[in-house]
Amino acid sequence: MAQLEANPRGIPQAPFVGKVEEFTTESEVEGTLKKFQEMLSKYKYMETHLLQRKKSLESKIPDIKKTLDMVDFLISNESSPEPILTQYELNDTLYAHASIPSPKTVNLWLGANVMLEYSTSEARTLLSQKLGSARTSLEQVDEDLEFLRDQITTMEVNTARVYNYDVKLRRLRKEAGGK
Amino acid sequence: MKMLDQQDEDSADTEVTWEDQKNINAFSRLNMRIQNLEEAYEEKKKEKEYLDDLSSELELADEDELIKYRVGDTFVNLTLDATQSRIESEQETLSKELEQFSTKIDGITDEMSKLKVLLYKKFGTSINLER
Repeated sequence: MAQLEANPRGIPQAPFVGKVEEFTTESEVEGTLKKFQEMLSKYKYMETHLLQRKKSLESKIPDIKKTLDMVDFLISNESSPEPILTQYELNDTLYAHASIPSPKTVNLWLGANVMLEYSTSEARTLLSQKLGSARTSLEQVDEDLEFLRDQITTMEVNTARVYNYDVKLRRLRKEAGGK
Repeated sequence: MKMLDQQDEDSADTEVTWEDQKNINAFSRLNMRIQNLEEAYEEKKKEKEYLDDLSSELELADEDELIKYRVGDTFVNLTLDATQSRIESEQETLSKELEQFSTKIDGITDEMSKLKVLLYKKFGTSINLER
């Protein structure tokens, strides 16, 4: 049986059943099955959690990217003397005209009702960092999800085998008793 | 779920070695990965189609007209040339990403077929590897 280890984020590894006979005797089958079911539901709960986190990261990343695109656009237009003409979102379906003359600074919304003014190049650095760390978190979440999937599959296979073993034993016993 | 008849059940090898478990886990993991990749691929393909439609429409557009091009969440008035060059570079990026995705998808499909052969050999009817 494999040793119970944990992955980098502390998710315990599922025990692997080598030979069912060695793992559990006939009387303990029910208890073992119950324990397996418990572990399986814990893993599935963790999986749901991680899937939610993944969704929220996946929606944050395009937002950061859009802001970064805009800042890049402002930087590329810094040299041109003409103001930028835009239509921006004043409210959900309401747009307004704006003329932006050679922008040097931008205000970034940092969350929690805080907004700071940055020069365009600082803003660019900050946004690229945020994008990078969001992408790294997403990678980690994906890694954890794959690890969890492995554990869930192992647990399901274990459960199936213990159950089959039990069914087979009962049948053999019944046949032997019937003779 | 299909139930095995008794003969199959008796001949079914109930011994699953650690190697087999690793293969089963790898198959499940690759399956999950390929589903995510295929979803992302479809989305990018749609985006690229939008851009392609856009560029063909722009070919018929008036030279002097300023085009409201969406950058981020706002619209910026750009000349036809500037718009076209932006669209071109975005199309290029998307094509590259689509290529990467499809190479990954092909690689994963190959690995999954290899694993299928191994697992069907060992487990025959006791295992179901189709989606």
